[in-house]
This record gives sequence, C-alpha cells and structure tokens, in this order.
Amino acid sequence: MMRTADEVKATLETAKLKQEELMPTVHCMSFSESITSGDYCLLELNDVLCKHLESGKSLVIKGDKDEHAVLCSEDKTYDVKIADTSNLLIIIPDCKTPDQLSDDQSIQSLVHTQIYGLANNYWELRKCRPKMKKLKKLLMENPYEGPDSIKEKASEGLKYTIEDLLNRIQASERELMDHLHVIHACKIEGYWRIPDFDYEMKLLNHITQLVDSESWSFSKVPLKVCLEELGILEPKEMIEHCLDCYGNRYTDEAGEIYFALNEDKVCRAIAQMLLQNVVKFNLSEFQEVWQQSVPEGMTTRRDQLKGLALMDLRSRPETIFLLKVEDLSEDTVERFTSLFTLRQKWTEADISPYIQDLCGEKQTIGALLTKYARCSMQNGVKVYNSRRPVS
Amino acid sequence: MVQVLICSAGEGVPPEWVLMELQGEIESRENKPLPGCVMGDLHYTKEGIPVLIIGHHILYGKIVRLEKPFAVLVKHTDTHQADDVVEMGEGTPSTCYLVRALIKKKIIFKTRPKPIITNVPKKV
Repeated sequence: MMRTADEVKATLETAKLKQEELMPTVHCMSFSESITSGDYCLLELNDVLCKHLESGKSLVIKGDKDEHAVLCSEDKTYDVKIADTSNLLIIIPDCKTPDQLSDDQSIQSLVHTQIYGLANNYWELRKCRPKMKKLKKLLMENPYEGPDSIKEKASEGLKYTIEDLLNRIQASERELMDHLHVIHACKIEGYWRIPDFDYEMKLLNHITQLVDSESWSFSKVPLKVCLEELGILEPKEMIEHCLDCYGNRYTDEAGEIYFALNEDKVCRAIAQMLLQNVVKFNLSEFQEVWQQSVPEGMTTRRDQLKGLALMDLRSRPETIFLLKVEDLSEDTVERFTSLFTLRQKWTEADISPYIQDLCGEKQTIGALLTKYARCSMQNGVKVYNSRRPVS
Repeated sequence: MVQVLICSAGEGVPPEWVLMELQGEIESRENKPLPGCVMGDLHYTKEGIPVLIIGHHILYGKIVRLEKPFAVLVKHTDTHQADDVVEMGEGTPSTCYLVRALIKKKIIFKTRPKPIITNVPKKV
C-alpha cells in the first residue's frame, strides 16, 4: 500500500503543482497499524517542564477521589484538566521540517512516514497554589508535646514521614518542605511533627528568660550556651528548633553560631497565646497585657498581628479577637464568603492579610478584590463587601 | 491517594516528534478502517510552506514553534520485572506513563482545503 514516486508525481500533476517550486523531499503519510490501539495522550508543557523531562526527571499527578488532580514537578504544582480542541491533532514521529531538509533538487526523496496517533484533546496545566491546608491538619492529629508527655511515652498517635506526607498532600516536595518550615514542623526520629503550641511557648519562654538572665542582646543569642543551660530542661533539638523558628541563625567570625531573635515573631506568638483562650479581648486591655507579656526590651505593634487577629474599632469598647488566616478555607470563593459573613464591610487594609495567599502568580490584591468583591464608599473610605447576598 | 507517575521512557533525551493540526476530521474513502491507510503527501514549497495533498484536497499551512510544547505519554503496561510495578501511597499500585516523545513544533493547516478538480463529467 506504500506510495511510489510515480504516484506522487502523478498526484502533483493532477494538483497542478510544479516539482521545481517544491523542495525535493516528500513525506508520504499513512496511518500505522496500531493507530487505534495505543493508550497514549498529549500533555501540554511549558519550557520549564520540558527541560525537566529532557533531563530525565519525573512528574507525578496526584489526587484523592474527592480532589481535583494536580501535577507536581520537584518544586511546583499545577492544576490538570482535559482540554478539547476543535481541530484534529496528528502525531507524527518521523517528520522533518524545511529547516532540516536540503533543497538540492538532484536528490529527490520520498519518506514513508507513519502516523503514530490522533488526538482531539490534551491534558492542560495551570500553575496553582499547592493544597497545603491538609498538611497542618494531618500533623495536628498528633502534636508533639515534649518527650515527657504521656502520649509520647506510650508511642500513641499517627506519625508521618516525608514520604507519607508526599503521598497525601497535593504539593511538590520543595513546596512541602517550605511549608513544613513555615508551620514550625520539625523532624523527630524520622517523623515530621508539629510542636503543640503551648509546648512551643514553653520552649520560647525558657529561651527568653535565659536571654534576660544572661543580659544578652536579642540579636546575639549564642546557640552553645542555650543548649548547655536549657538542654537539661528540654531536648536540645527542640531548643535549637525553637531558636530557628523565632530567630535568624548566623555564624560570627570565630565560627560560633548565634541567633538574632525576631521581635515580630516573638510578639506575635505571645499575642496568639493571649487570644487563643478568649472569644474577644477588650482592645486597650489587650494592648497593655500584651506589652507586659513580651520579653523586656521588645516592643509590640499592631501590624505584628496581621493575619492573626482582627480588631473591631467600631464597637464600644473596641475589641480584638483571634482570626488566623491559616484556619480559613483554601478555596477563594469560600474564603471570601466566610470573611464577609464575619464582617459585612472591609477596608483593603483589614482584608489584605486574609486574602494575600489567594493571589495567583502575578495577581494583585486589587485584582482579587475586583473579581470577588464589590467596592463602595463609606464615610469617605473605600470598603469592600460581598458580591452576592450573604446570610 | 491516586498517583500517576510520568517518567522518561529510557536512556537519554526523548525524541522530538511533530504535530500536524487540521480542521475537521479525517475519514477514509469507502469507510475503510484507518490502520494501514494512506493519508496524504506532505510537500514543502521552496519558501518552506507546507503543502498537504489529502484525497481530492490541497491544503496550505505553516510551521509554528509551540509556545507550550507537548509530551506524548504512553501508558506503561506491566511487565514481569518487579521494579516496573510502581507502588505508592498506601500500598496500592498506581499507573505509570512514559514520555515517548516531545513535540516542539506543529504544522498547522488553517485554510480551507482546496478541492482538486480532476475531470469535469460531461453531461449526458
């Protein structure tokens, strides 16, 4: 059934095309015998993923039955969906394009080319935020309360290795590791654990008390002495972990490791500690107690509370309550609905910390608000409310 | 969690294939099954314009470098080797796709096909 040079020539004549105006190579295409039987598909990539595959690296598509599938490289996550094309896509293995062919007319060549497959859809990717909420949820099933806790001693509770987590979370390894760092998780005996918040405060308190008694500067807390003095009270790894969570590690010229405690992070944690057991706190009382509770020498500021607590400046007295952005829905529409249910109208300054993480790549808060909220003026101030009725 | 691994088919860089894009559908004459059938002749003009002759049609197209390349994925069937069965998650075997080829350019035919008139039947 293969075409001959004469047949090709005859076809050209019928079509009234002149060989002299054409390049000397013709591809005679036919459908391969296995064209209808292959289990193949097309995956649309970008330059980064293409290079990734060319270097021999793998990708993985993952999702539970109730989740949308995502594709993960070693450091990025993408939503996957099947896109239909109205045109027919023909997959051809051995087809050269003009830049790869000679136009030497004396070398007429006929290339029999087999079509590998046909497609009218492909897998389309769109970069997305990795689905991280599940991570904290899994680790909070069994928070670490220190080696002396009854639970730890009895070895009760679920524990997850990094592999276990990768098999359950729709995120790439790099994104997973980054988020573990953000939520203060640490590796204990091969398992990733999140310290119970009260335990974490206990560790922080040991450290700040030591800083005070030694009269160290907050920006020069020596690791060695901390481990020596506090290692008797708590595991050294946990002391060091707490320093890493609340400070920046550096080495001086003598090669000694120090930490610069982060005032904002310390003050913020103490605010959480104060707010977590109350429904609301009288704002001015809170500010007083808060300042008194932080290590001497540190200054509390309202902007340290972004994404952690919300102030109600319209109530009398003014109040403050805990509202952690990480406790809110990962879904954009759901997030906006719950925020507008909580409070009907928001200024941009108030709502920004609670929607910042929803912004897509290159998407601004302004664009997000335009899309999901309605703007109006109230007392000369721009406020945002829900686009749809909220009960 | 269901996991589908996408990995390279073997040693080295996957080969580069080409995509051809046509409007409409392809049908074979007399409804013969497609496998083994001839599809058409692909020529290039001296200026590098692709010319496709399918049946009684000529199509003129162009070569486009894809902004978003494609990977041709082939489902990996189990063989006898133990390490070919990919196990992940809670011990359940998952699917594996191999990257058979990468596609970085396509030949697209957007213009309406021109019919080739072979003869004009004489009226009886």
